[in-house]
Amino acid sequence: MVVPIGALYTPLKDRSALGTHQPLGYEPVVCKGSCRAILNPYCQIDPRGRVWNCPFCLQRNQLPPQYGDITPHSLPPELLQQYTTVEYILNKPPTMPPVFLYVVDTCLDEDDLKALKDSLVVSLSLLPPNALVGLITFGTMAQVHELGYNECPKSHVFRGSKEYPTKQIQEMLGLAGGAGARPQAPGMKPGQPPMQGGSGIQRFLLPISQCEFTITTILEQLQRDPWPVAHDKRPLRCTGTALNVAVSLLETAFQNTGAHILLFSGGACTEGPGLVVGNELREPIRGHSDIEKDSAKHAKKAAKFYEGLAARVAERGHVVDIFAGCLDQVGLMEMKKLANMTNGFMVLSDSFNTVVFKQSFIRVFEKDQDGFLQMGFNATLEVQTTKELKVCGLIGPAVSNNKKAPCVGETEIGIGGTNAWKLCGITPKTTVSIHFEVAAQQQVQPGPNSRGLIQFVTMYQHSSGQYRLRVTTIARSFADTNSPDINASFDQEAAAVLMARIGVFKAENDNIADVLRWLDRMLIRLCQKFADYRKDDPMSFQLAENFSIYPQFMFHLRRSQFLQVFNNSPDETAYYRHILNGEDVNNSLIMIQPTLMAYTLNGPPEPVLLDSVSIKPDSILLLDTFFHVLIWHGETIAGWRKAKYHEQPEYVNIKELLETPKADAQDLLLDRFPIPRYIDTDQGGSQARFLLSKVNPSNTHQSFGAGAAIPTDDVSLQVFMEHLKKLSVSGST
Amino acid sequence: MVAPMGQQQQQQQQQQFMQPASVPQFGGARPPQFGAAQNSMQSQQPGYATQQGFDQPQQPVYGAQLQNGQPQQSMMNQGQMGGLQNGMQNMNMGQNQRNPAAPTAVNLLQKAPSVTELETMTPPPNMSAQMSVSQSPHSICPPVYKRCTMNAIPQTQAILTKSKIPLGLILTPYRSLQPGEEPVPVVNPPQIVRCRRCRTYINPWVQFVEQGTRWKCNMCFLTNEVPAFFDWDSEARQQVDRMKRPELTHSVVEYIAPQEYMVRPPQPVILLFVIDVSYAAVQSGMVDAVSKTLLECLDDFPNSDGRTKVGFIAVDHSLHFFNLNSTNSEPQMLVMPDIEDAFLPSPDGLLASLTESRVVIEKLLAGLPGMFRGTTSSQNCLGRALQSANTMIKAIGGKIILFQSSLPNLSEASLKMREDPKVLGTPKEVSLLQPQNAFYKGFAVDCSRAHVSVDLFAFNSQYLDLATLSSLAKVTGGSNYYYPTFNPSNAQDLAKLSTELHNYFSRPLALEAVLRVRASKGLKMSRFHGNFFLRSTDLLALPTVNPDNSYAIEMEIQDALPSAVACFQTALLHTSSSGERRIRVLTLTIPVTDSYGDLFTGADQYAIATLLSKKGVEKCITSNLDSARDEMISRLTDLIGAYKAAFTSSGQNSMLILPENLKLLPLLMMSTLKHIAFRTSGIIPSDVRTFAQALMCVYPTEAYLPSIHPRFWAIHSMDSSCGELDDATGRVIFPPVLNLSSEKLERHGLYLLENGSDIFFWVGRGIAPELCQLVFGVPSYDGIVFGKNALPQLSNDWSKRVHNLVSNIKQLRTLMMTTCPNVYIVKEDSDPNLRMLFLSQLMEDKLDSGNSYPLFLGYVREKMAKPASMF
Ligand SMILES: [Zn+2]
Ligand SMILES: [Zn+2]
Repeated sequence: MVVPIGALYTPLKDRSALGTHQPLGYEPVVCKGSCRAILNPYCQIDPRGRVWNCPFCLQRNQLPPQYGDITPHSLPPELLQQYTTVEYILNKPPTMPPVFLYVVDTCLDEDDLKALKDSLVVSLSLLPPNALVGLITFGTMAQVHELGYNECPKSHVFRGSKEYPTKQIQEMLGLAGGAGARPQAPGMKPGQPPMQGGSGIQRFLLPISQCEFTITTILEQLQRDPWPVAHDKRPLRCTGTALNVAVSLLETAFQNTGAHILLFSGGACTEGPGLVVGNELREPIRGHSDIEKDSAKHAKKAAKFYEGLAARVAERGHVVDIFAGCLDQVGLMEMKKLANMTNGFMVLSDSFNTVVFKQSFIRVFEKDQDGFLQMGFNATLEVQTTKELKVCGLIGPAVSNNKKAPCVGETEIGIGGTNAWKLCGITPKTTVSIHFEVAAQQQVQPGPNSRGLIQFVTMYQHSSGQYRLRVTTIARSFADTNSPDINASFDQEAAAVLMARIGVFKAENDNIADVLRWLDRMLIRLCQKFADYRKDDPMSFQLAENFSIYPQFMFHLRRSQFLQVFNNSPDETAYYRHILNGEDVNNSLIMIQPTLMAYTLNGPPEPVLLDSVSIKPDSILLLDTFFHVLIWHGETIAGWRKAKYHEQPEYVNIKELLETPKADAQDLLLDRFPIPRYIDTDQGGSQARFLLSKVNPSNTHQSFGAGAAIPTDDVSLQVFMEHLKKLSVSGST
Repeated sequence: MVAPMGQQQQQQQQQQFMQPASVPQFGGARPPQFGAAQNSMQSQQPGYATQQGFDQPQQPVYGAQLQNGQPQQSMMNQGQMGGLQNGMQNMNMGQNQRNPAAPTAVNLLQKAPSVTELETMTPPPNMSAQMSVSQSPHSICPPVYKRCTMNAIPQTQAILTKSKIPLGLILTPYRSLQPGEEPVPVVNPPQIVRCRRCRTYINPWVQFVEQGTRWKCNMCFLTNEVPAFFDWDSEARQQVDRMKRPELTHSVVEYIAPQEYMVRPPQPVILLFVIDVSYAAVQSGMVDAVSKTLLECLDDFPNSDGRTKVGFIAVDHSLHFFNLNSTNSEPQMLVMPDIEDAFLPSPDGLLASLTESRVVIEKLLAGLPGMFRGTTSSQNCLGRALQSANTMIKAIGGKIILFQSSLPNLSEASLKMREDPKVLGTPKEVSLLQPQNAFYKGFAVDCSRAHVSVDLFAFNSQYLDLATLSSLAKVTGGSNYYYPTFNPSNAQDLAKLSTELHNYFSRPLALEAVLRVRASKGLKMSRFHGNFFLRSTDLLALPTVNPDNSYAIEMEIQDALPSAVACFQTALLHTSSSGERRIRVLTLTIPVTDSYGDLFTGADQYAIATLLSKKGVEKCITSNLDSARDEMISRLTDLIGAYKAAFTSSGQNSMLILPENLKLLPLLMMSTLKHIAFRTSGIIPSDVRTFAQALMCVYPTEAYLPSIHPRFWAIHSMDSSCGELDDATGRVIFPPVLNLSSEKLERHGLYLLENGSDIFFWVGRGIAPELCQLVFGVPSYDGIVFGKNALPQLSNDWSKRVHNLVSNIKQLRTLMMTTCPNVYIVKEDSDPNLRMLFLSQLMEDKLDSGNSYPLFLGYVREKMAKPASMF
């Protein structure tokens, strides 16, 4: 194999983008064989015998009675070829309304806390009225606020330094039965209280329509953590304990119902389980080099703690979202599994007072045209293949459902060993990669022109409370090993993204140098196989159109923040990788190889090479790295701007030149989550490094040529290609 | 209209309650029987022999300038040193006489006890004020502050032992003032003058020597320099009269302490409320009533310096803290569910400034009942609450005020329901009177170290185990309050709670106090009784000083007393609620004698009974009820025996005689034995018993007496001045008290009885309809509603005067023991329990196993006849 066989699948892709029908208001027809596949256009139907054959397990199934009058000309949508994807509304009683449990750090400075409180209050108004909300605040201690209590603000306080067993937390919160329902002490006879209902979880989690006033009041009155902090100390912040309490709060009462635990963290956990850094300021928080040297003393323990929590959360189908608002690291690296395993939102910002946080957070609650939150809950994705293909695994924000159907292959890529996964949270943009392998030759010999089928079945809870099922069934032809069809069908963009996912997945567990070597090897082999060349003649090397930019993607992937971690903090790395892991092809490509637009007075804006040659004094560049949107003004233009030419009526063209990239940048922000960091800089400005680190260093400080010199030791794309050609044609690997 | 009059009406004498020994009457009525002692024993006339053994005129000299109603009687009447020395010489002369002039004695068997004397509790005379340096009447220590069981102290332990008179002091150093009383003078001298050697504070009983340049300590006789400021005011630059200094004119004086008396700045007042909010507490109405009352009391909280801090912990199966920060618009409840590992949920706000957080505190108290109305928790983790409370305030010190309505039944220090009616009245009963675990006492010791005291307000008719819980107050100098029949729907119960809490907060409060007791060389303190923690042999730690509490100190004579006068000085170093460090000094001087006559005539029967009752409580806990009772009886018989052996001839064997000033002792001891604290009974719940004993431990003599021997008046026959104010004294005039005997109950009578905690009206079946109308507002006996009912307020003179009597009693008891008595109306044929409750107050009657007074005397005589001789 030189390139992975895989699919990037967006289970809840917006129906309008698919041009499909309204959800079907009836139950899907399910194969009664073990595959449980859903009736689809690729099934053979015998309308007369009212029988259909399952293409996956070859089972003959009766059609249900209501399919009695179908004919090839009147087929239900799920049998129409044009609908490769159909959605059913299942006839299951609606689930509980979604839960939003806010877990709010109070070790913030006043401005930050104020900004956060404002955002939280606004978010309440964006929730569906029946959504259940809860509030936990934490600092030195963790406090669970009893929103169902009307007499005064009331909270239950947990020691920050202590790892409470779940059962104890539930008992303490009176969730294990009635309030205070512990074993009765001997000697209690008279005056026994009547057992009352209504004392359990509904004291803490209430429909927002019922508790909006209470929770708003609490949020508005929320004070900074009151415990004094010595000047040489970090505040005590028990993020781990707060999360443990949050997870436990939801654990029994809300099994397999939609729930988000929204963590707002303004700094690293310094107290109790999940401690990321000690509270002595002289102890620095770990960096990549500490992790490399294995000298990050808390990292493993903390990661293990959060991973344990993440497993519990995922088990129940809940989601943990992490919103970090801190110039320093908050321990995202340690906590990442919480979001990775549950497809939580992750937003990394310098403070809660930034646009990045405020707008990203609001965007979480965006609604569809019917007014429902654009998020599904507690989804399971199951993949069926016909026998020629085997499922190797999934890479994405999911956990295994441990379902080992016959279609599961030997090779594991990503989360393997199963053909079903759970996505606790899912949005219309959530994209997973599913990896396949061709069944071993001796077992199955696909005949020429034979067709392999893949069915993706996603069951999820719609934010209306309905259970829905999405079914996508695709067919792919098999080709001979040497068939030109293979070349022609290569999707270099998808391949680049799949490679990026695999690379990052490997990097999470392996040495990065090994990952880079692996990527190189794979690229060389691909070129050896699909390029046109004469052996040992690099000059003859040619790639077909649909392969042409693949090496360039690989070049940028190698240089990207996903695999070159040392310019970033471990938190940033965790953040970037998490986002990459759930985005679609287009966005992923922007992350791998940012786009660059140039604006000059000489012509209309145009995309330019992500290369140092594009850096010119008389142009404005708009760089979109997905995470950053940067407007860079060349020296000349920066000079004009400084001289305020654009404010003079006769220089309206300069004004326009300055405005256009800004408007374009705004367009980029429209549909993006998280909101990218917006940077406006000039040539020579310190922020310009964002641009310089991304462009291909065709000119470095060691070479001289057109465009700007980039102070780097990295090889340029040109050098990279030279090497690639040389190695490809030499036949060595 | 004429009210029916009983025969008592003929008795013209009017007693005024709490009036000082109405000296002229008193002295006039009983001319001293000097010199006739030997022959006067059978005298029917009560004689009050005061001067035996002293070569003094017969007529005692009473303090000429009586003020504040303090009885001032002197043993010696000459105001010069010569007089004292003269007296001493005489005493010495009597040393070798085998049988000195015996006191005037009374044969107890012949006469009903003279209960009117109980009204004044006059101790035998002591030193003459004339003997003090300033000759000020205030140089005599008022017995309400400090009284000794003996107003003549034997020279040696041998004499003391033989006399069988217990030697002890009853101190009430920080007592609340009754209306009209003058406050203790406060002095702020440039320097506090104390003996260099023994650290005695200068007092009216020192002597000035060497032309007044030095003073001779009356404790150790070292001469010390008199500081210049005693005679010269350097600021005003003028001569001053040292004899006007309160240190030299008053036996009770309070200093504002300079820096060196402070280990740290004076602490602010901290009041931390720990409130039971379990289901039982909420259902009983306690939470509601207490919150409401506290809200009304906020203005009474001591806060004169604006530094007072207040906190609250509500307790059920978890701990509920409240952040009362003034920046909040309302209190925030912080629930601590992890009681096994409880901690403070906030670094601030849990204790809030009463002034700054007033609004939030008011909101909390107003909201508290609602906060727990729907509770389902039947548990209470008091032990954990207390630990947290102590953690909250231990850095400063202060008061933990505990409102408890259910048995702590969760976690540390939970208590078993061990009450067992089968055990009551048996020797095993004592086990119920002892703490069932060591936690509370140990905790209290920790509190004491941190200047934290605990006051317990207990509400419930269910078992609360006060025997265990009361150790909190006992060790920390606190108090116990008990509302066993509290019913929030009864207005009187609410009023009682309200009155008591108002007084509780508004009465003087002293903090971080130590009480040091000094006595002349040769005297040794052997035992202490009361609520405190004994830090060293003569130092009592009192985290807060409760004005109601008194302390009893038993003493021994270790070495023969070398001087003619013994001195007892008590210094209470404390922080006043206004944030001043102060020292209250009480100096009592008592002549030393070797004459048994002096000893017996100097014996203070009221102080003796008070002390013996406290010893009795101790014996109950350490041994059992029976031995406590036995001991009290033997102390009495021993004393009578000792007296008899010393002063009677063989022909008087059939008589039971005691000197005049001890003649009520048998009645007092009998009444003590009939008190709930000691009564032989199988139906007294142990909480009730324990509470009575706890009070007994702290009673000053003035509170002890009515509690064991209630005051009893006929109302129907009282004359028209009764219930009115006495213009001369400013006090309400009461009719004469009656002997506590059902013989006094006439069919047409209306009686009033009070015992310090309850007030009873007894209505005879034949009560005149007019009186019914006037007092009860109903036309006849049948219309009177019995039970715990207040009298109606009617607009007639009778009603007004009866109310005056009742409110006078309530005011007195509230100020004395922070007890607002409930009023019960008892009809002759009403509910038998209520009837019994009243009749059990009639001490001279037979009650259950308790003898009538004559039978008791017979028992005592019998008991005395058995042992050969105790002398
Ligand atoms: Zn099938
Ligand atoms: Zn001295």
